[in-house]
Amino acid sequence: MHQTEEEKIFEYTGYRRDDFSVCLGCRICASVCSLNDVGANVNPQDILLSVFLRKMVDDHPLIRLCTSCYKCTDSCPWGIRIPEVIRAIREISKKEEKFGKALRSSIELFGRVYEPYVVFRIMPYLLKNGYWKFFPRWTEYMSFHLPRLKGSK
Amino acid sequence: MIYAYYPGCSLKGSAKRLDDGVRRVFNLLGITLNEIPDWNCCGLVEYGDAYRVRLLSKKNLEKALPVSTEVIAPCPLCAKNLKESNEDSRFSIFHPLDLLTPQDILSIPAKRDLKGHVFFPYYGCLLVRPKETAIKDREIMEKVILYYGGEVTGTEVKDRCCGGNRFFVDRELPEKLSRIILERSCGTIVVFCPLCHMVLKSFSGERKVVYFTDVILYVLGEKKKL
Repeated sequence: MHQTEEEKIFEYTGYRRDDFSVCLGCRICASVCSLNDVGANVNPQDILLSVFLRKMVDDHPLIRLCTSCYKCTDSCPWGIRIPEVIRAIREISKKEEKFGKALRSSIELFGRVYEPYVVFRIMPYLLKNGYWKFFPRWTEYMSFHLPRLKGSK
Repeated sequence: MIYAYYPGCSLKGSAKRLDDGVRRVFNLLGITLNEIPDWNCCGLVEYGDAYRVRLLSKKNLEKALPVSTEVIAPCPLCAKNLKESNEDSRFSIFHPLDLLTPQDILSIPAKRDLKGHVFFPYYGCLLVRPKETAIKDREIMEKVILYYGGEVTGTEVKDRCCGGNRFFVDRELPEKLSRIILERSCGTIVVFCPLCHMVLKSFSGERKVVYFTDVILYVLGEKKKL
């Protein structure tokens, strides 16, 4: 089971196992990681090591929180694209959040991200989690627009 | 010169102002933008499968072919995805800032200057990282602002992450990350990305958040106020 999941990571990212064997453990990725600026105390290198050791990590805080800022990639001596590895794990372990699901369903329906639809889909989540306090700020510049139907011009 | 124009999903909705701004700036420079017919989403960063993202972006490039092989995408994420899917280099993909040089912008006769205005050009992540898809000149906006007599702040936080990508997963993370950016800068925030705009607008309080095109259009007298 884990074997196939690990293979999927390589398939999704286009990396080979050997590509992670070069990681020197210098932790420069951890020192520049945006999440550590706010005290998340994470080490992106854990992810590479686990993948190299054929272990599936789906409970690491980075899997949920990585913002894909590519700071690690920028500083890594090998330029390893850790955010893309994390995104692959996120997809394989089905740790997709409500917002991601809404985006995908919008792309399937309209071919594009139709914002009013996405907001409508996650509205209960937004209300429950206190996002309503941003609504006045957002309505300053957001407005309603009609969707484009798939295939139409 | 005719360019194929890929606006991207946000620019049709919440970032309409950026869309209008880009069209107007290029119009002033005498460059024609022809929107790619029936374009689709670029694939965002939501799919774990990089191949699937590239497939979506490749579809867009195919649709651009009858218009032009020179493609302009103003959203940093769309530009990154399109650049990465252009594996055989058949196309030339540009973010507007790849194409414009400070000289281009400064060549249009200005009607106003920026004296007395303080700006914080906030580049964010995907415009300057990863290296392969980054814009060439990371100081282009500073050059334009300084030329017109404006003041620039916050250069050490200009490429920090605002956490926009995880805004709807963890509300506190983008708030903390944006606070760092906001506390170490002052004045009007100049953004390039629709997502940065949304996040910084949510937390910026009284401070103005504008797109880079707004600043250019203001100087050129096309916009009455910032």
